[in-house]
Amino acid sequence: MSATTENRSLGRLPTREALLQKRRGWFFGMSGDQFVKYLFQGNATISIIVLGLITFTIFRDAVGFIPMNHASLAVYRLAGLEYVDIYREQLTTHSTMSRYLASVRAQKLDQLMNKEGLAPAAAMATLAEFDDFANRFADTINEQETLLGSMTDLVTAVKERQTVSEDIMVGKQYLLRAMAGATPERAAELQRAADVLTVEVIDFKAEFQRVLALRPEIAAANTSQVAALKALMAGAPKFADSDLQRRMEKFQGFVQGYCQEVEVTAQKMAAWDQSKPIGWLESFNAFAFGRKWVTASFWQDWYGIIPLLSGSLLIAFLALLIALPLGVAAAVYVNQVARPVEQKIIKPYIEFISAIPSVVLGFFGIAMLGETLRRVSQIPALDWVPGFPMAERLNPTTAACLLALMAIPTIFSLAEDAINNVPRSFKEASFALGATRLQTIIHIIVPAALSGIMAAILLGFGRVIGETMVVLLCAGNRIQTPDLTSGLGVIFQPVHTMTGIIAQEMGEVVRNSIHYRALFMVGVVLFLISLLINWLAQKIVRRYRISIG
Amino acid sequence: MVTASAMSAPSPSVQSLLRPVVSVGSVNGAPTPLAPQIAIEIDDVDFCYGASKALHDITLNIAARQVTAFIGPSGCGKSTLLRCLNRMNDLIDGARVTDGQIRIDGVNIYDPRVDVIELRKRVGMVFQKSNPFPKSIYDNITYGLRIQGESNKARLDEVVEKSLRGAALWDEIKDRLHESALGMSGGQQQRLCIARAIAVEPEIILMDEPCSALDPIATAKVEELIHDLKKQFTIVIVTHNMQQAARVSDRTAFFYLGKLIEYAETKVIFMQPANAQTEAYVSGRFG
Ligand SMILES: Nc1ncnc2c1ncn2[C@@H]1O[C@H](COP(=O)(O)OP(=O)(O)O)[C@@H](O)[C@H]1O
Ligand SMILES: [Mg+2]
Repeated sequence: MSATTENRSLGRLPTREALLQKRRGWFFGMSGDQFVKYLFQGNATISIIVLGLITFTIFRDAVGFIPMNHASLAVYRLAGLEYVDIYREQLTTHSTMSRYLASVRAQKLDQLMNKEGLAPAAAMATLAEFDDFANRFADTINEQETLLGSMTDLVTAVKERQTVSEDIMVGKQYLLRAMAGATPERAAELQRAADVLTVEVIDFKAEFQRVLALRPEIAAANTSQVAALKALMAGAPKFADSDLQRRMEKFQGFVQGYCQEVEVTAQKMAAWDQSKPIGWLESFNAFAFGRKWVTASFWQDWYGIIPLLSGSLLIAFLALLIALPLGVAAAVYVNQVARPVEQKIIKPYIEFISAIPSVVLGFFGIAMLGETLRRVSQIPALDWVPGFPMAERLNPTTAACLLALMAIPTIFSLAEDAINNVPRSFKEASFALGATRLQTIIHIIVPAALSGIMAAILLGFGRVIGETMVVLLCAGNRIQTPDLTSGLGVIFQPVHTMTGIIAQEMGEVVRNSIHYRALFMVGVVLFLISLLINWLAQKIVRRYRISIG
Repeated sequence: MVTASAMSAPSPSVQSLLRPVVSVGSVNGAPTPLAPQIAIEIDDVDFCYGASKALHDITLNIAARQVTAFIGPSGCGKSTLLRCLNRMNDLIDGARVTDGQIRIDGVNIYDPRVDVIELRKRVGMVFQKSNPFPKSIYDNITYGLRIQGESNKARLDEVVEKSLRGAALWDEIKDRLHESALGMSGGQQQRLCIARAIAVEPEIILMDEPCSALDPIATAKVEELIHDLKKQFTIVIVTHNMQQAARVSDRTAFFYLGKLIEYAETKVIFMQPANAQTEAYVSGRFG
C-alpha cells in the first residue's frame, strides 16, 4: 500500500493501469511504429512494382521485334532481294581483286620512286603495262554490273510497292477503327475515305519472272567473262622483284578461285527458292548472330547484334585489363602497406574519381586522350607496336582508358573491402613464420580475398559494359565487327557499342517500328548481361563469406 | 573445471613439474651472471604504444629448453612483452621499444642490422585464437618452408610428418592432409598451428594464451604437448590460468600494470611468493 502511494506521489501510475493504457493511434488510427512500418513497406513495394513495370515494358517492346523482322525477311526473299544479293557477292569478289591489284601497283610505285629514285612521270611510264592489265581486268566485270543494276532496279521497285501497300493497309485500318465510336455522318465519311484506299496485293511470283528472264543473259555474261579472264591471265605482266612476282602469282590464284565462284554462284541462283518460308528461329538468329547492323537502307535493313556486342565486349575487356591491376594493386597497397595518413588521402581520392560526370570524361577523351594517343602512336620508334600508327583518334583503346578510370573506384572499393575482411590473424601468422610483407600479400591475403576480388572485377565489368556516354563519344562509332584474327591492331579500329547505338538511334527512330524494337532487343541483351554479372558476383561473395567464416 | 579434467589426464602432476632449476636462478627479477642455458635476455626494457607506456623496466632471463610462464591480470602487458620477443609489435603503428635491450645469443634483436625475417624464423609464435590459413593441412605446415624457397616434395613430406608427430596430431589427421585446415576441431587447429610453428625449426616458441579458446580435453592435450616440446624448444607461454602455469611451466613471471613484480621458479611463485601482490594474485584474492 505504501509503495503505491509513493509511486503516485512521483507521478507514476499503478502497474495495472500502466499496463492497460495502450494508446490509440495518432495517424489514421496507426501508432508511430505501425506508421513507420507501412511507410517503409510502401516504399519497398513501389520500388519493386516500378522495377517490374520497367522490365515488363522493355521485354514487351523488344519481343515484337521477332515477328516484324520475320515479315521483313519474308519480303526480302519474296521480292527477290535475296536472289540479287547472291549475285552481288560475286561482283564484290571481283572488286576486291581489283583493289588487290591497286595495292600491288602502289607497292611497285613506292619501290620505283623511293628505292630506285625515279621521277613520278618516269615511274608512271614504267607502270604503263601494268596499268593496262589492271584496266582490262576491271573491264571484265562491266557486263555483270549492268545486269546487277537492272535486277536491283526490278526488285527494289517490287519491294517499294509492297512497302506502299503495307502503309496503305495500316492507314485504312486506322480509318476503320476510328469509325467505331463516331457519329453516323462521320462514320460514313470515314468509310468513304477508306474505300478510296486500295491495297495492292502483289503477286511476287509473277513479278519475279522479269528477273528470271535475265538468266540467259547472266549465263552468257559469265561465259564471256571467264573466257576474257583466261585470255588476260595468259598475258599477265611479270615482275623482276620476287616479292611482287609472288603477289602477282597469288592474284592469278584469286582469278582461278573467282572462275570457280562464278559457277557456284550460278548454281546457288538456280537453286534459290522464292517460295521457301522463313523460319521463326531464322528471324531470331538474324538478330542474335547477325553480323550486319544496317538501318534506313534503300535496299534491306539488317539488325544483327554481333558488331555491337563484340564492340562492347572488346571495350569492356580492354578497360578491365587496365583497371584490374591498377584497382587491385591500389587496394592492396592502401589496405596492407600504406600508412594511416596515406590511407586517409588515397581512399577518398580514388573514390572521388567516380564523381566525375562521364560526359566530362568523354570530352576529355576526345579533346586530349585520343589526340595524345595518336601522337604517341606516330612516333617512328614505336612502329613495332601492333596497330601503330593509329588511323583513328577515337577507337576502343581511347574509350577503354577512360572506362578503366571509371571502373577503378568500383574495383578498388570492393577489393579493398574484401582484403579488409581477411582476418588480421592470417597476416600475423604469416609474419610470425618469417614471411615478408610481399609473400604475405601474395600467398595469404590475396588468395583469402580472391572471391571478393573476383566479385569486384565482375561488378567493375558490369559498370563498364553499361556505361554509355564515354563509349558514345570515344569509341569511334563505326559499326563493324572487330576482326580478332587480324591481330592486336584491332584495338585501334573504331567500333560501335550496344549502349552507344541505343543512345544514338533511339531519339530519331519511329515509335513501334522494327528499328525501334530492335533497339529494345539490344536493351534486353544489356539487361540480361547486367543481371548475369550481378548474380554471379553475389554467388561468389556468398561462397566467400562461408569459406572465411 | 579445467583443473579437474586436466589433472585427470595423463599429464605430470604439479609436484613433478616444479622440480628445481639449477643454473638460471634469480629472485625478483635480478638475473644472475649469464649462464649458457639462457635463451633470451630481457634487459631493462621499456615499451610504448604511441604515447602510452605499456612496459616499465622489464628485466628477466629466459632459460633455454624450459617453459617460462607469464602471468598477471588482463592488460598488465604479458602479450606486449611476448610480442616484443619476435618483434611482432613492429606491425603496430607507433609501437616501439623505447629503452633497454632484448638479446638472443648475445645479439640485440632491435639492432638496425638485425633481419626481422630471420629472427621470426628462429622465434616462432602460436596465437591465442588458432589461426590456420584457409588452405589444406599440408599447405599450412609447409607454408613456412615454401616461402623460404623449399620445393623438394620429399623433404616437405618429411617435414609435414615430423611436425605433425611433434604436435601429436599425425595419427589423427594423416589421412586428410589435403583437406582444408578449417574443417578440423578447435583443439586440432591449435595443435596444427603449433605444428606449423615447429615446421620451420625455431629455437624458441612463443605462445599467447594458446588454450584460452579450447575445451578442457583439448587443453590437456596441448599442455601435454608443451611438456614434450620443451625437450627441443625454449617455450614462453602467456596464460591467465594459474593452474596451467603451475602445471606446465618451470619458471613463472608475474606482471602487474606493465611491471615485472616477481620472477622465480614456478614452485616458489606458487608456494612461497616473496611479494604480497604475487601472493594475492596466485591465491585468487586479487582485484
Ligand atoms: N595495439 C595496441 N595499441 C595500443 N595499446 C595497446 C595495444 N595492445 C595493447 N595495448 C595496451 O597495452 C597494455 C598491455 O596490453 P597486453 O599486453 O595486451 O596485456 P595482456 O596481454 O597482459 O592482457 C594494455 O593497457 C593495453 O590496453
Ligand atoms: Mg594478452
